[in-house]
Amino acid sequence: MALKQISSNKCFGGLQKVFEHDSVELNCKMKFAVYLPPKAETGKCPVLYWLSGLTCTEQNFISKSGYHQAASEHGLVVIAPDTSPRGCNIKGEDESWDFGTGAGFYVDATEDPWKTNYRMYSYITEELPQLINANFPVDPQRTSIFGHSMGGHGALICALKNPGKYKSVSAFAPICNPVLCPWGKKAFSGYLGTDQSKWKAYDATHLVKSYPGSQLDILIDQGKDDQFLLDGQLLPDNFIAACTEKKIPVVFRLQEGYDHSYYFIATFITDHIRHHAKYLNA
Amino acid sequence: MEEESGEELGLDRSTPKDFHFYHMDLYDSEDRLQLFPEENTRMRKEVVQAEMANESTGVGDGNAQRDLREEVEELVHLHGLEDDHELGDEFVDENMPRMGVSEYPPYGLKRRDPAREQRDWRLSGEAAEAEDLGFGGWGSAGQCQDLREVYRYTHGRASEEYECYVIPEEEDEEEAADVFCVTCKTPIRAFQKVFDEHKEHEVIPLNEALESAKDEIHKNMYKLEKQIIDMENFANHLEEVFITVEENFGKQEQNFESHYNEILETLAQKYEEKIQALGEKKKEKLEALYGQLVSCGENLDTCKELMETIEEMCHEEKVDFIKDAVAMADRLGRFLKTKTDVEISAQPDFEDQNLDFSDVEQLMDSINTIPAPSAPVINPQAPNSATGSSVRVCWSLYSDDTVESYQLSYRPVQDSSPGKDQAEFTVTIKETYCSVTDLVPNTQYEFWVTAHNRAGPSPSSERAVYVTAPSPPIIKTKEIRSCEEAVLICWESGNLNPVDSYTVELTQAESPEASGVTESVVGIPTCETLVQLQPGQSYIIYVRALNMGGPSVRSEPATVHTIGSYFRLNKDTCHPWLTISQDGLMIVRSERSTPTREPPPRDTHFTRCVAVMGNLIPVRGHHYWEVEVNEHFDYTVGVAFEDVPKKEDLGANCLSWCMRHTFASLRHKYEFLHNGTTPDIRITVPPKKIGILLDYENSKLSFFNVDLSQHLYTFSCQLHKFVHPCFSLEKPGCLKIHNGISMPKHVTFY
Repeated sequence: MALKQISSNKCFGGLQKVFEHDSVELNCKMKFAVYLPPKAETGKCPVLYWLSGLTCTEQNFISKSGYHQAASEHGLVVIAPDTSPRGCNIKGEDESWDFGTGAGFYVDATEDPWKTNYRMYSYITEELPQLINANFPVDPQRTSIFGHSMGGHGALICALKNPGKYKSVSAFAPICNPVLCPWGKKAFSGYLGTDQSKWKAYDATHLVKSYPGSQLDILIDQGKDDQFLLDGQLLPDNFIAACTEKKIPVVFRLQEGYDHSYYFIATFITDHIRHHAKYLNA
Repeated sequence: MEEESGEELGLDRSTPKDFHFYHMDLYDSEDRLQLFPEENTRMRKEVVQAEMANESTGVGDGNAQRDLREEVEELVHLHGLEDDHELGDEFVDENMPRMGVSEYPPYGLKRRDPAREQRDWRLSGEAAEAEDLGFGGWGSAGQCQDLREVYRYTHGRASEEYECYVIPEEEDEEEAADVFCVTCKTPIRAFQKVFDEHKEHEVIPLNEALESAKDEIHKNMYKLEKQIIDMENFANHLEEVFITVEENFGKQEQNFESHYNEILETLAQKYEEKIQALGEKKKEKLEALYGQLVSCGENLDTCKELMETIEEMCHEEKVDFIKDAVAMADRLGRFLKTKTDVEISAQPDFEDQNLDFSDVEQLMDSINTIPAPSAPVINPQAPNSATGSSVRVCWSLYSDDTVESYQLSYRPVQDSSPGKDQAEFTVTIKETYCSVTDLVPNTQYEFWVTAHNRAGPSPSSERAVYVTAPSPPIIKTKEIRSCEEAVLICWESGNLNPVDSYTVELTQAESPEASGVTESVVGIPTCETLVQLQPGQSYIIYVRALNMGGPSVRSEPATVHTIGSYFRLNKDTCHPWLTISQDGLMIVRSERSTPTREPPPRDTHFTRCVAVMGNLIPVRGHHYWEVEVNEHFDYTVGVAFEDVPKKEDLGANCLSWCMRHTFASLRHKYEFLHNGTTPDIRITVPPKKIGILLDYENSKLSFFNVDLSQHLYTFSCQLHKFVHPCFSLEKPGCLKIHNGISMPKHVTFY
């Protein structure tokens, strides 16, 4: 579990670092980004995990979202992992942008040839937190998670599958109901096989229906001019309906004129950091 | 000799302090040596000068002194002065006679303080100077006292005062003693105990005797000092009495003199009058008598002439006689007919005339009686001297007047009906002040006063207008608004006439032990004020009204908690279909709206949307309140400027910011309206209680689901003026406002 620092840059009084390590779950070298706020110099800080969307690495979020100022002010350690195993030499992993490399979909694959490496769910919920807790000044009791698009899906399922593990969850334009959208169908059938009943275990809308009801405040921002929303890849309405029915608190904000890009994320990232800080610093 | 010593002393001023004492000793010795023959004196002087020279070189050095002593003894022997042990002893006992004279200066200085005591001094001016010098360089009072002790016992003097000044002239200090004979009360030399009459006597060490004598002297000194102070005070008092007596008698003399002069003048006047009257009477009588005399003479002449004529007729011829006799008889007849007055017209005796001395008698009497007093001078009203029902009226008299009582009259000042006289009241008082009670609050009264004594009443004083303090104001407890930092209180004057100002008093209710600590805000001209407070406290607030006469009593208290913001609904803005509860915190729109009995709406009332505003305190900062809603009601909550168009829906314009909930076909719709637009926001759990945070500093208005601590929406709004909470019910239902609550932590993130 040796960590190798790839880079370190001072940012808003804290440090934006990138590390590399050998992942047990994923059987490959993985990079992740860590932002250490100024407060981390003197004490343990809450930790917030960011899950990126399709095609992204750890770099997209840290270089484009402009989250640092808010994280610095609220004193949050922000972890941004990669989106999939890399360099595993699995046939077909680089054939398309929405499957394989850069498209781990935060599931534990059960199908060959993916099941050895594509265990992003376990990596995000088990291995990475252990690594972070062991190596950085964080308070494991205060953990939250958020993400964008596929990462939004990942954040939602991580939170919904682990009641109490995350203090709060939020998402930008998440894939809310993957079993019903083209991206999800493709990925889930590849990683999980054709038995659609297994898919539901990684579908936020389905997970809500069985969520035991522990307090979870969900904030979702969605650009109204998001092409993927119009393409039916995100399906937030289904998720909202399920949450309304199950009385899971969601504030869903359909933002006029915004698309799926990091410009959209950067616009509302402060709201999301504050949303998490409210629970993490309570 | 003294002059020489003076010169030496003059030189001493620059020498070390030890030298002073030593030198003064010399001076003393010389004094004592005055009785010695001239030659000896000279000898002594030489010795002295020799000592001086030596002392200058070895100041304070015991060895040097001892050397000196030997030298001196030699000299003494040389000049046959064996009997004079004094000088030698002085050197033997370093602690004693050396200090002998230097003891005095402290007392000398003290004694010299009162000027009159200076003449008691027996020391020459130079001696005094010497003492000053000694004092200047002398630090140890204890040693002084030791010495004093010795002197006292030596001479058996009771008064140290006497001792102090007399000792230098004493001649009998032949020998320096080293023990004290209790029986004889005298210090003796130790060897005397063995040989002399003290053989059987009890002796104690000299130091012990010193100690006890020192104490006694101290006591006596304190007594004397105290007595001096007492006497000085008494003298001052006597002086005052002296002046008073002088003044009083002077006044009395003046008074008597003026009366006396008055009487003399009156008498002189009476004398003049009388003399003049007597003279006139005399003249009148004399003139009358003279006139009578003249006419008497004339009559006589006529008679004589008639007689002559008749006699001549008798000598005439018969015819002529007859002729003339007839004429004569006629003439005579006429003459005799005129009656001759022989009564004395004026009586020579003096008529008894009564002199009227009554006015003089009155004057004489008035020397012993007092005049009626002059009109007293009534004072203007002293500030803060009145209460709501009483005023304290004061006046003064001329000091010469003797007054037995005063009559104070008053009546209310009435501008409206001058013709109709108000009832007058009069009280009789001995003092020059009077507290007049049972008056009407905040009312002007006219006062005037007359002084009375045996001689009668004085003229009336000027009339002075006094005013009673106002009635206490009445705090409008239902209109109190507060927030964490301030309270806005308003009140009714409680007075029909205007008052000058109001005072608000605040006490922190949390600390009853410090209830005396009251903060006051004074000089408030209106019936409303905003008072800055500390957050999270409870205050008890009172209001007083003030006028010239003073403050009213406190109003009934009002309690304010600076926890959260507290407001009530403003009935003046209420849409006619809404009902506001008694506590001003609940809004009800009933099912059966009855538009028929709508009162004509004023422009402060909402007329289109069924809304009402709250009265939020106009303080920038944070304000938080909560609204209890029913998820099936249609409601709008938010804020609006006071001048928001009342004929428009809330949120339909740029003067209001609102969250609107509509429930239709089993779907909840939440809008966050400003200027008619809303973002598209979906909320999965309908709030039952909405928290609203108004943040002037960051120009934000945020809405929360209180039960979930869920943030719903935040407006960024330009609040250039103060806004008020607003509430609307688009369908029948009710809203309940919770305020005066502290802000939950989760809202502080927004």
